[in-house]
Amino acid sequence: MKVKIKQWNGVASWLWVANDENCGICRMSFNGCCPDCKVPGDDCPLVWGQCSHCFHMHCILKWLNSQQVQQQCPMCRQEWKFKE
Amino acid sequence: VFLRGSVVLDMMMMDSLPAAWDSVTSALVSSNSCLQMSPMSSCTLSEEALSEALDLLSGHSLAQCVEGWLLETMQVRLTAAVAPEFWAGLEQPENEVEERDRARVLLRAFRTLLVRLEPFLGGLERLGTWQEEGRGGLSGPGSRGLRERALSVIRAVLLFSPPAVLQDRVLEFYSRTFAVHMSREGETEGETEERAHPSDGGLCSGCAVPVEECWCQEALEQLEELSHILSRLQLLERVSSEAVTNILHRLIEQRMEQRCRGEYENSFLSDFQEWLEHVLGWLSRVFVSEAGGSSVRAALGSPTGQPGNTVLQRWRCHMHQFFCRIYVNMRIEELFSIIRDFPESKPAIEDLKFCLERTNQRQQLLTSLKSAFETRLLHPGVHTSDIITVYISAIKALRELDPSMVILQVACQPIRKYLRTREDTVRQIVASLTGDTEGCSDLANELSRTDPVTLETQDSEDEGSEQWGWFDTPDPVRSCSKRRSSDIISLLVSIYGSKEIFIDEYRTVLADRLLHQLNYNTAREIRNVELLKLRFGESHMHYCEVMLKDVADSRRINANIREEESRLPEEEQPPLALSAMILSSEFWPTLKEEKLELPPLASKAMEVYTHRYEKLKAMRTLSWKPHLGSVTLDIELEDRTLTNLSVSPIHAAIILHFQDKSSWSLEELSTVLGVPQEMVRRKLTLWQQQGVLREEAGGRYTVVETCASRERPERSVLLIDSDEEGDSNTTTQSEQREEKLQLFWAYIQAMLTNLETMTLERIHSMLRMFVATGPVVTEMDVNELQAFLQKKVRDHQLIVSGGVYRLPKSSH
Repeated sequence: MKVKIKQWNGVASWLWVANDENCGICRMSFNGCCPDCKVPGDDCPLVWGQCSHCFHMHCILKWLNSQQVQQQCPMCRQEWKFKE
Repeated sequence: VFLRGSVVLDMMMMDSLPAAWDSVTSALVSSNSCLQMSPMSSCTLSEEALSEALDLLSGHSLAQCVEGWLLETMQVRLTAAVAPEFWAGLEQPENEVEERDRARVLLRAFRTLLVRLEPFLGGLERLGTWQEEGRGGLSGPGSRGLRERALSVIRAVLLFSPPAVLQDRVLEFYSRTFAVHMSREGETEGETEERAHPSDGGLCSGCAVPVEECWCQEALEQLEELSHILSRLQLLERVSSEAVTNILHRLIEQRMEQRCRGEYENSFLSDFQEWLEHVLGWLSRVFVSEAGGSSVRAALGSPTGQPGNTVLQRWRCHMHQFFCRIYVNMRIEELFSIIRDFPESKPAIEDLKFCLERTNQRQQLLTSLKSAFETRLLHPGVHTSDIITVYISAIKALRELDPSMVILQVACQPIRKYLRTREDTVRQIVASLTGDTEGCSDLANELSRTDPVTLETQDSEDEGSEQWGWFDTPDPVRSCSKRRSSDIISLLVSIYGSKEIFIDEYRTVLADRLLHQLNYNTAREIRNVELLKLRFGESHMHYCEVMLKDVADSRRINANIREEESRLPEEEQPPLALSAMILSSEFWPTLKEEKLELPPLASKAMEVYTHRYEKLKAMRTLSWKPHLGSVTLDIELEDRTLTNLSVSPIHAAIILHFQDKSSWSLEELSTVLGVPQEMVRRKLTLWQQQGVLREEAGGRYTVVETCASRERPERSVLLIDSDEEGDSNTTTQSEQREEKLQLFWAYIQAMLTNLETMTLERIHSMLRMFVATGPVVTEMDVNELQAFLQKKVRDHQLIVSGGVYRLPKSSH
């Protein structure tokens, strides 16, 4: 017997490769989106800091904009630098 | 008589009181015949004598007794002779063979009655005139008053307890004359029904005897005479009303049975209106003399004006009332069918609306309709979609019938209540909303009517409670104060009280559909979501929009990856054409989790695909749901080929394993697939049905490479969809509910730890109070909670005694 697969339609769900489930700022799931967004994924990406913490991009930007003096990671209080 | 008169005169001269009495009384009793038989002069002569006799009597204050005497005499005569004679005349067995004879007997009896009573009536008339003129110092009620008194005596004596025979006869006679009248009217009006009659054996359509013996004319004349007599004796009302009422009732009923029953697509109002006018013609014959008598009364200054007309007017009202009532009765009986046939039955609904406004039968209608729903619709034998279809028809029909929506609200309440108990209600509604099921397409049409609807108008709370007194007095004030939406979709959605459930269910249906077709063609779903957005608002449909976007994104990613692969050299081409539906897991309903180890061919392909995806989307990866999806494959066997089978991944996985090794035991398969044996066995049946595999002794399955022609399976079914256990990829509603309830378990445990014991109601209200998270708690009713707690009791996680729950000691 020979089985010839013509087409395999699989189902998968995507997820961020992150070391946490939820965004430390908005407490929403990374795989969802920040409170201001409607669509997850490309439209509401994650960013990582050099301290290895990650957040929704929109969340951390909002946080950084609200910081007057020094820009720190909200989790570890180290100076926030985007990871390249 | 004349001679006697002169003798009386002499005797009166001699101051003889008894003689005067005699002369007066005999003049009264026989005055009628006197007036008729003797020339005018003789009468005037005796007039004078009478005057003197009267004077004499009044001189002895006896004149007032004359009145009493006359009435008394009449009553005695009536009781002793006239009434028995009348009844005897009516019952003449030897003359009752033919209907025609019976009619004659009836008339003759009344004729005799009139002749016997006429003298008294004449006498009273005379006495009355005297009284009015004040002759001989007489005073009294006058001729009209005397007449009334005498006639009431007659009615009392004669009809105090009439034998049934009278009503029978009158009824028969009236029916006949009615038929005659209608047949004559029918001829002039050219009604087909009555005209059809002469063809059948030459019977007259009026009197139903051979034409040559027709006594139609006679009957009409008899009717006229009878009516005159009855009217003269003022017996018309007493004798005829009942018969006439009966006849009208019966005939309207008959006609309605013949014409309207089961016939909902025509309006009958104008038809009946016309017919009733004919009937009125007959009534005017029955009550004709009364109309004639009116001239006499009018001359006497009767304030009633034209009594004949008022009598007819009254009968016209009666008749319309009869008609409406009978019509409403019939339609109430049929209302369920009428609703089922709506909108074809619209004319019937309109007729019913017209008549219902004139009869006070809304309550009856409600009761009957409700019980019709309960017996014919709301039982386990009826498919949910059928119930919904009838409900939709009922909404449409009843809002036509009663724009105030009270009937709709009350009558359909059992349907709503019942639908709430069916698990697949929401799914059915959603399915028909999106045009999936045949038959319910009007709901899809309804959806595309673009009037944004405000929901939440009906709170399910007070619908459930019946103590509102709705059923005794539909209170229009209260019913209007609540906003009563007649929008079909709102009504359906509000069955469950909240649109969240509804939208959740839609999401599930949508997920199912998208995961089943896997062809990325979402035009229809996009349209539906847009329409639902108009209904429920943008924010509620947000998740569905993300789902649809996932589909579009997946298609793009697939195309991307395909293109990349096509640029690879020949030898690196992937062995398996894999495409993926990539979901944003947060936005899809919970998918069933099943384990399945795919054969290396497939898992390798998925790995490769994941790599390419990771390259495409930085920092993201894929988590495959191996059991979901579909596989199209060909199977080549030694003597045959099965092409384009569309199966689920687990089927594909199984058959791929058989490619490497042609014989497997259930256990081996179970291990290699990571799936319970029971499941494997179920999945194997598909291949057995296809004739590809065979179960051999010892529980091993082997490939059937060559099959004898007799074993060759029917090849008509090529596309095998999912398998026997429902094809939903998502968890069912009840599973989800179970999960939600499980959430409460922690709360319940905590409460019981603190409070030791609690009743069911207490737990429920505490949960309500503390766990205020969205719709979950409000939708959980006490019964559900009880069932949940009982399950816990069975699992020994809870103890119930004396109606209170507490935790078992060990768990402390």
